[in-house]
Amino acid sequence: MPAAVYRKWECRTCGEIYDEAAGRPDAGIPPGTRFADLPDNWICPACGTAKSEFALCDE
Amino acid sequence: MNNLKIPTELIAPAFNPATFGVRGAAHQIFTRLRRDYPLSIAEVPGYDPHWIVTKYNDIREIARQDEIFHGGDRSKTLISRAGESLVKQYTGGQSNIFRSLVQLDPPEHRAYRDVLAAKFMPKQIAALTDGVRVTTRQFVDRMAGLAPRCDFATDIAFRYPLKVVLDLIGVPPADHEMMLQLTHWLFTYADPDLKRPGSDPTNPAEITETWNIVFNEFKRYYEPIITDRRACPREDIASLIANGKVFGCPMEERAMISYYVIASTAGHDTTSATSATGMWVLAEQPELLARLKTEPSLIPKFVDETIRWASPVQQFVRSACVDYELRGRQIKKGDLLYLSYMSGNRDEEIFEDPFTFKPDRTPNQHIGFGYGGHSCLGQHLAKLEMRLLWEELLPRLESVEMAGEGRMAQSEFVCGPKSVPILFKMH
Repeated sequence: MPAAVYRKWECRTCGEIYDEAAGRPDAGIPPGTRFADLPDNWICPACGTAKSEFALCDE
Repeated sequence: MNNLKIPTELIAPAFNPATFGVRGAAHQIFTRLRRDYPLSIAEVPGYDPHWIVTKYNDIREIARQDEIFHGGDRSKTLISRAGESLVKQYTGGQSNIFRSLVQLDPPEHRAYRDVLAAKFMPKQIAALTDGVRVTTRQFVDRMAGLAPRCDFATDIAFRYPLKVVLDLIGVPPADHEMMLQLTHWLFTYADPDLKRPGSDPTNPAEITETWNIVFNEFKRYYEPIITDRRACPREDIASLIANGKVFGCPMEERAMISYYVIASTAGHDTTSATSATGMWVLAEQPELLARLKTEPSLIPKFVDETIRWASPVQQFVRSACVDYELRGRQIKKGDLLYLSYMSGNRDEEIFEDPFTFKPDRTPNQHIGFGYGGHSCLGQHLAKLEMRLLWEELLPRLESVEMAGEGRMAQSEFVCGPKSVPILFKMH
């Protein structure tokens, strides 16, 4: 079974990275949580920008 | 919750630039407001009523909802009725002389921001470190050459972030002083030492005229640069703005000129104010200097605390696009909301001992750069500049104390020290 491919998403306002592999355990988001599975009202933990304003990282 | 209306005698001084020229005076007002009138209405003669938003969480709730709370339908900064009326005359009906990122609303705001956004992301700013450090060392050497006395505000803090950002924009050094002067005319239009000479800041017509003069001075300056960069693009910000596309089209003219204005003014003034504030704190707390010299790893946290402490952007104003309930208050469509960032950054419910400067404050999620989609585009550059300043300066700074009275600029909008006279030893 292939290993899960996790991706990183970047806040287009402040550059904060959401790393699916790491999640945000400090905010109750377990490692491995897909960006798509974050609630729609999730906001950038650094600057408060809406989830819809995150973009997939190029790398 | 009672206290719907703030007594005029309590809130009117917060509408007066002179109040901010007295260190701590505005904090006295807003500390009382947070306690007794955390979200209440100011009815100051000559101004439309404003909800005064003093609490950190309320400010963040409003600031992150750009679709609901607009910045461009009305003046984004505090302005009298007479002043706003004159702005409309100058602009053909708009409420702001400038149409920069600050005043734009969705979806335009994101489209304009994307013209420069990639340039200001953390990774791209980190790549500038070596180049910026060269400039930092020039200014640290300059300060050493001024020993044992200098005015840290005017000699160093006003000029170091100015050079960094104007070099990035592509403005020749010979023009930096003129850019500094225009910045002061704009942000400190009411300060007797920094305002446009001859202007009367108590006259709404002259305030608006000053802003219009500033706009036209920048327009006159940047128009040939726009032409040049369109013909021969360079690796600078001026070229990115000149050739930037918004929804596939060239920028609207007032918005394009305003883009240059905000980069050339807000791109350095707030960093100057924060750096000068940091030195003022160090000059008053010798134990802090000693600690930072032995624990240089604290410098990033020290920088964040100086931003919280200085909060140079005092306020922005939003207007509600729909009815909205906040803190039990009924905000009506069209109401104006004055967001006091300096108040939010001293909110006792968020920051422990908010009036104590803690160089290791953790967490320190201040709102000195704003919050939400309009958060400061240049925040990572500003933090880089300040980190490098203290990294380069503190190892060489043996002692520092105030050599006279520090003085704050008189501005109810962007406010910081205009004079920090120091006596110091450095090698």
